[in-house]
Amino acid sequence: MRRVAGCIGTVLAGALVVFGAGWLLHQRPAPAQGAAVVVRGTVSTPQGNLPHVLVHLATYPDSMAGEHGADGGAEPDWVSYGPTTDLSVPAHSLVTVTIDQYDGGEEITNHYFARVHGTVGGTETVNGKTVTGVNPKAIGHTFTLHAAPTDQSPIFVSAPLPAVPDDAPLAPGSDYPKPNVVTFSFMTGSAGKYVWNCEFPCGDGYYAKFGGPMSTRGYMSGTLTVT
Amino acid sequence: MSTVDTAETQRAAQPPAGGLMRRLNMGTGILAGIVFAFIGHWVATSMISANPDEAPSGVQVASQVHIITMAGWAIGFMAGLGAFAGPLRWVLGNDITHADEMFLAGKDQGVGRYFRFTTDHKVVGIQYLVLTMTMLGVGGTMAMLIRTNLITSNSGFLGPQTYNSLVGLHGLTMILATIIMVTGPFGNFIVPIMIGARDMAFPRLNALSLWLLVAMLPVLYSAAFMGGIPTGWTGYTPLADQGPGGVDAYLMAIILFAISTAVSGMNITTTVLSMRARGMTWNRIPIFVYGVVASVALAIPAFPMFMTAEVLLGVDRGLGGTFYVASGGGQPWLYQNLFWLMGHPEVYVIVLPAIAALMELTAVFARKPLFSFNAAVLSIAGIVGLSVMVWAHHMFTSGWATALNGSFMLTTELISIPTGGLFLVIVGTIWRGRIWTTLPMMSTYAMLWNFIIGGVTGIYLSDVPLDYALHGSMFVTAHFHYTLMGAGLTGAIGALAYWFPKMTGRMLDKTLGFVSFWLVQIGFNVTFLGMFMVGMEGQPRRVVHYDSVFATGNFISTMGAYVIGVGMLVLLYAVVSSWRQGELAPMNPWGAKTLEWTVPNPIPLENFPVMPVVTEDAYGYGKPVVAQPEPEPVPVGANVDSGTGLHGDAVGEEVTRSSSSSADRGTT
Amino acid sequence: MTTSGPPERTRLWSRRETREVFILWAVLTVLLVIFSMTVPDALMGVQASNTMTAVERTFTILSVAASPVAALVWAIALYSLVRWRRNGDWTPADEDGAPIRGNRGAVALWIGGSSALCLFILILGLAALQVASSPSENPRIAPAQARNPLVVDVTGEQWVWTFTYPQADVQTDQLYLPVNRAVVFKVTSDDVIHSFWVVQMGIKVDANPGETTTTQTYPNRIGVYDVRCAELCGLLHADMETTAHVVKQPQFTAWLKANQTRSK
Repeated sequence: MRRVAGCIGTVLAGALVVFGAGWLLHQRPAPAQGAAVVVRGTVSTPQGNLPHVLVHLATYPDSMAGEHGADGGAEPDWVSYGPTTDLSVPAHSLVTVTIDQYDGGEEITNHYFARVHGTVGGTETVNGKTVTGVNPKAIGHTFTLHAAPTDQSPIFVSAPLPAVPDDAPLAPGSDYPKPNVVTFSFMTGSAGKYVWNCEFPCGDGYYAKFGGPMSTRGYMSGTLTVT
Repeated sequence: MSTVDTAETQRAAQPPAGGLMRRLNMGTGILAGIVFAFIGHWVATSMISANPDEAPSGVQVASQVHIITMAGWAIGFMAGLGAFAGPLRWVLGNDITHADEMFLAGKDQGVGRYFRFTTDHKVVGIQYLVLTMTMLGVGGTMAMLIRTNLITSNSGFLGPQTYNSLVGLHGLTMILATIIMVTGPFGNFIVPIMIGARDMAFPRLNALSLWLLVAMLPVLYSAAFMGGIPTGWTGYTPLADQGPGGVDAYLMAIILFAISTAVSGMNITTTVLSMRARGMTWNRIPIFVYGVVASVALAIPAFPMFMTAEVLLGVDRGLGGTFYVASGGGQPWLYQNLFWLMGHPEVYVIVLPAIAALMELTAVFARKPLFSFNAAVLSIAGIVGLSVMVWAHHMFTSGWATALNGSFMLTTELISIPTGGLFLVIVGTIWRGRIWTTLPMMSTYAMLWNFIIGGVTGIYLSDVPLDYALHGSMFVTAHFHYTLMGAGLTGAIGALAYWFPKMTGRMLDKTLGFVSFWLVQIGFNVTFLGMFMVGMEGQPRRVVHYDSVFATGNFISTMGAYVIGVGMLVLLYAVVSSWRQGELAPMNPWGAKTLEWTVPNPIPLENFPVMPVVTEDAYGYGKPVVAQPEPEPVPVGANVDSGTGLHGDAVGEEVTRSSSSSADRGTT
Repeated sequence: MTTSGPPERTRLWSRRETREVFILWAVLTVLLVIFSMTVPDALMGVQASNTMTAVERTFTILSVAASPVAALVWAIALYSLVRWRRNGDWTPADEDGAPIRGNRGAVALWIGGSSALCLFILILGLAALQVASSPSENPRIAPAQARNPLVVDVTGEQWVWTFTYPQADVQTDQLYLPVNRAVVFKVTSDDVIHSFWVVQMGIKVDANPGETTTTQTYPNRIGVYDVRCAELCGLLHADMETTAHVVKQPQFTAWLKANQTRSK
């Protein structure tokens, strides 16, 4: 009897330890998205009338303006996406993404990602001008969305974000220069989980510039949940 | 009659008591470690900030600070523990006295001796046992989290960063724990008694090897607070060059571990070579001792490779070196070669002593002599010899020297011959034995099942074209769990159950042992057969989520893993409760014939009041016609050097007897 | 030994345990062979290339070859357990087992048998390796165009694959291959080590920074297959996968053309 109780107690204690460790380590739910994602009416597409989702993101040369708080969190110098990196959009909708790109840049390693892939019409607009690609020698970041490996509807979207010149003056009343505004649209299928990241090596100081902010959640990569 | 060799014994009279040395323990060690870590951190930061121009990147600065801080911790901890007291006093011309030696050996100290730099091999063995069990518990907890995350194809329970770090830490914890799990507890506690020695050859080095591991643990787990080890346990470069501060913790932990292994390997090898009892000739040494020596001797060349690999990685990360950075003329394949030069001998470092322990206890529980002792020794030697020539089979798909793939396939597949020899010895011993199904014997049976599966799947992976399809998949994960856990850990559990009465003086709870055995073995097979399934279907290793076609196999694996977890916890309870209040064990509960069962419980400080003399091997079961009584230990002069087994005046006689007994062995 | 051979064998065979273990061994072997012939093929799924066909065949042959060995070990162990298991605990008064310290015949047979098996799998592996390293030279599948392989440059970078067709100046994120034409992949990486794995084609090679590694195959089945990364490469390793489309030659030509114009 004593042995049975002892065993059950040990197993429960062990389960509690695992549960506690899991509680500490489990992925926190995405922070409130605020104004990042807005559903606005429907839009007519060849696939019929779809809900129209507007996503507004920005890329910063530091972490002061993103989800890490005004002091920049643990790594204030890391480049980051903001205001959030965990996006949630409805299924079977047209998603229009607007990204304010505040950061500088240089030549991208793989020129494939200087071109636009997988968007509606295969194009994006840069400061109002429609293009199918940008100069690979002056890329700031990219927004590259791909499928998690499950049987969900495949999505592959990649949009280059041209660099702001290094000598650009600060915009009045801002800590950053005037951004390049990039807009593109893509369509979501059925529900699923996707990831996106930047394909421009922007983790300065790390091997291949892919460590630090590139390899840490909440900076240059994120998730897209289609619900 | 000192526990150590005469070279270390100081005859000069010294003040008996007092001295700083006697006040040091684990607490002062931790204290000094923290102080030294702070000093290291301060020196590193101030040194680097003094030359801001010379530190080209923030990553290097961070790496330097991490490495120096952790080195400070390790040195401080060892110093505060008293690990350097002996050499320091020798340098000061104030050498350790006999009374000091007795103090260091833990004479007349209670539980406190387990928290000191105690040199008694039995204390070190118990410390190793507790350390191993702790590490297995930590690694097991991580395994539960990993499997929980993989319960569905895209559970979202853990983020990719956490998951990758957990995979790395789980692998590393388990590998380090399994390397020490047999040679640590049983190699230290049992082997010296088994060969009739009063302690290890170098008792202070013995304690050093244990406490270096204790110093390593905080270093290793500090990785969790510095971005984790997102590289897997292999730490492949250049991913490790890119990784966060956790990688610095990884490389420091490996350096400490490699020193510990080298020290322990030399110590155990020397002990067995030079401290055997009189008459303990090579063909009378129990097979377990061969397994342990093979394991630690193999570790001596293997781990310096690993250490070198990590030192070079530290230069890359901390000083801007380019050993592994292709754009700087470096070569990632260099890391892989160094790593696997350690990595393949290392799996035999884990498996050999476990299987040797199972051979030892199979003879006891089948009540039969070991079947073909010579085949057993030759198989172990063959595996040791071949295992250093197979490393590149881990690199068939890497693209390095593809012309050599055929040769490495050859050496790898040749290992199946001596491995088959091990099976022959065990099934030959079981055959017509009077099988007593205790927990240790059940472990032998479990090993026969698991290691066949692990071995056969290893042959698939050694076949180059098949490896092109299976490498890097869950199939590989399942394969090495079948060998390291199915054979290695199962053997270690068998060894624990077998020697538990001698090590603790109490019997391990039989019922709970059986319950745990079945839970663990059934859970194990469910888990890893499920993993073979998803591996063959094409699931890569180390993925935080996976294609839903793999969902069934992964769900099966996760359920199996929970059953293992419950089984292991039952075993933990059985060990702890039996240790505290189990039934008191008789001196020789299994009727075994090796020397450790001839010493009383609890074992006195220097094991043997009178040194034993060995006249035959330990497998004299079922003597057919004239059943010789087990020879009593013959009193010999107390001052006889314990190393006389090889050089004593009775050598000629021993040789004749042993040759006649080996002639008997060949026939029947 | 030779003179006493035949009577010894008869005596051995007349023993009850020899016959029973033999029967148990035969039954287990048959069961394992049936398992080997059916389960691996079913699990490893479609064979999209001749490489994968060879892989699954090798897997089956090795499993069948291993079956009698595994069956022998398990048969002896199981039989001994059932037949000679002790009832209750051992006591010092109990009789021990037979003092068999070895048997030269058994050891020789065992070593000889395992060496022969080892030699067999080695020859099998070397022959298969020869074919795997140059599938277009395989006489069984060498049509004329197989000697003119399609070259695809594969680049791994954290955490996407891109494919370049140097013969056609096309770059893409999904792999398109024509059926029944040998293909050579030249694989490299822009950053850390990745491993290029086309699952259903049974090929895999690491993508190393600063080096180009090569693998080749002969896709012979139209369909959509998986390309995965098989070497932990950082944060989004699990998401580093794409699809491989094997299509008819005209469709492939059309696809190349369409992507060429778009890339310009």
